[in-house]
Amino acid sequence: MLKLDGLTRRFGDTLALDGLTFDVHPGRVSGFLGPNGAGKTTTMRAIFGLTDLDAGIVQWNGRPIDLTIRRQFGYMPEERGLYPAMQVQEQVEYFARLLGMGAAPASTAAGRCLERLGISDRATSKVEELSHGNQQRVQLAVALVHEPDLLVLDEPLAGLDPGGVDAISEVLREEARRGCSVLLSSHQLDLVEDLCETVTIIDHGRVVVAGEVDDLTTHGDRRLVVRVEGDRTARWAKQLRGARVSEIDAGAVRLAVDDQTDSDTILDAARTAGRVTEFHFERRRLSEVFREALE
Amino acid sequence: MIALPIAIAVLAVAFILRRSMRGRTGHDPAVRLPHRSGILANTSSTIALVASREISLRLRGRTFRVATGVMLLAIAAVIVIPTLGGSGGAHERVGLTGHGSRAVASAARTTGKQVGATVETINVANASAAESLVRSGDLDLAVVDGRTILVTRTFTSGDRSTKAQLTRALALVIGEQRAFGSADLTPDQIHAISHIQPIPIRGLSSSKSTSSEQSTSAVGLILLFVLLSQYGTWTLIGVMEEKASRVVEVLLAAIRPTQLLAGKVLGIGALAFGQASVLVGFALGLGAAVGSDVLKGTAPTVVVATLGWLVIGYAFYSWVFAAAGSMVERQDQVQALAFPITIPLLAGYISSITAVTSAHASLYVTILAYIPLTAPFGMPVLVALHAVTWWEFLLSVLTSAAATYGMARLAGIVYRRAVLRTGRRVPLREVLAIREPSRSR
Repeated sequence: MLKLDGLTRRFGDTLALDGLTFDVHPGRVSGFLGPNGAGKTTTMRAIFGLTDLDAGIVQWNGRPIDLTIRRQFGYMPEERGLYPAMQVQEQVEYFARLLGMGAAPASTAAGRCLERLGISDRATSKVEELSHGNQQRVQLAVALVHEPDLLVLDEPLAGLDPGGVDAISEVLREEARRGCSVLLSSHQLDLVEDLCETVTIIDHGRVVVAGEVDDLTTHGDRRLVVRVEGDRTARWAKQLRGARVSEIDAGAVRLAVDDQTDSDTILDAARTAGRVTEFHFERRRLSEVFREALE
Repeated sequence: MIALPIAIAVLAVAFILRRSMRGRTGHDPAVRLPHRSGILANTSSTIALVASREISLRLRGRTFRVATGVMLLAIAAVIVIPTLGGSGGAHERVGLTGHGSRAVASAARTTGKQVGATVETINVANASAAESLVRSGDLDLAVVDGRTILVTRTFTSGDRSTKAQLTRALALVIGEQRAFGSADLTPDQIHAISHIQPIPIRGLSSSKSTSSEQSTSAVGLILLFVLLSQYGTWTLIGVMEEKASRVVEVLLAAIRPTQLLAGKVLGIGALAFGQASVLVGFALGLGAAVGSDVLKGTAPTVVVATLGWLVIGYAFYSWVFAAAGSMVERQDQVQALAFPITIPLLAGYISSITAVTSAHASLYVTILAYIPLTAPFGMPVLVALHAVTWWEFLLSVLTSAAATYGMARLAGIVYRRAVLRTGRRVPLREVLAIREPSRSR
């Protein structure tokens, strides 16, 4: 288990991490969310000793992290980094060997890893010749090749097409099933909701919400989805008592409704705006959890 | 000739490292899972991995191969071209007119041998015919009636060409013959006078440097300067590219900054020393094969001192260049940063080459020979000029070694603090000013 305890980091007058504390559990895909500048990248760097800490400690299975422990981790930094002129297979092998694998096992593992990510046909291409999506797969291969116990991935799904998102999501689920602890950051909250079992939301270097995705989305105010034909602004909903507009999604308004409010009054209000074509309750979305946590 | 075995050894190590890095390509069915026991790989194998990547990257790159080829060609040109134009030296055509031309002809051939020229004598009808043949270039020179030598243009006192030497010597020999003839000496007396034996000269202290030591040293200085600045810049750009491509963050998550830096510096250094050894070995070998006198009498102590100081100088400067590389991430920032580092290199080079050409170890050069920044240039010159004792040499080596250790520590700090700060050039002042809070590891 990865334990971050009281991480504090100051850059000049800015407090990037402010006593940040949370755990990452094995066998799970954990989401690590927060607005830009919340401290996600600094936290990830702290796990790998890439930033100095003013206070706090990062532990793995109860021990402070040293180089030997860190070699059981895989890392995909926010700013992707590979040797542009090096061949794909050779590059993955090189990192596997830097992580302590012997020549033959590194070669085998790199080949298997590329196959798993669907890029074994590009093994002898230079990285700079690959598309963005395939470069991202190579970057993930570098993080995965040594079958790490912990995977820390900064925005692993950014810039991928839907097929790429599905493929990489599946690989990350497999890693978690194998027993790996997977920590990933993302701004694509709908994808995180599908992929992650737990999330930690931070802001200004502090945890604001943490828990199981299922718990977080079933708690709090219920969501009432109302679609009024031809109405895309939902002006009728702005003045409702006991319900507020949470999101407007493709013409349907999502209302956060407290327990005391009668849904009939809302239906009546909606009818004044036009023909109601959709009217049902849903769980909170992760994006709503996120937005409400930061309010 | 010490360079050749060293070159072979370095290339062999590079080849083995490269092979071991690429690993076996065949899939071993027995190996299904990565070896966890291998995770505890030690520091030296990590450094060797990084170094072998640096070496194989450059050996495969076209830039290195082309640059080495160009340098080999340049060396071949310098050595081979002077030996062309006739085997065994220059061919001189000497015209002879009038009486006593047989004696002059034999004197001309003998003198020609002494200055290393083959002399062909041609009898010419009269003085005016000789003059026109010299003017047209059919003759290199003409001896008119055993009294005057005709050449197209008289020689300056510094002219060391074969033709000038032949003409001067011939003028003296013919003058002597004329003097002997007019003095009415017996053949025995003439023989005794013309075979003068110089009396021996005994030195009270060890000899000063020979001109060959000086020229070896000068060539060595040029090599030192070119290689130190070239490989230093490679180190700088290598570090900068890893920062620019952001691959350094992935690397530093797996290995220590010192391992990465040491591997880079050693890899490029092994290549630098290997290339220098190949160049020197090629020059010496080719020189011997074609009988060139450019490298005749190459002083072995000067060669060893120069190659030794190439290693020491590289060890020191590579850390400076590596630290500089961690502060920039764009090619256009490289020049501005490399220039101030090149200044001490340039200063050491210019003062040393001045000292070696004037054959005078000035106080200035002597001081430079003990400053680690300029010692790689100053000390080999003092060796060539016999202006240093072994313990003074050792003192300078130890000073440089200590300075290199200090510089490696400093470079490590600068590197670790600067290499992950992207977006703009990191000022040195800021890097050195950052207080160091407790580390997370």
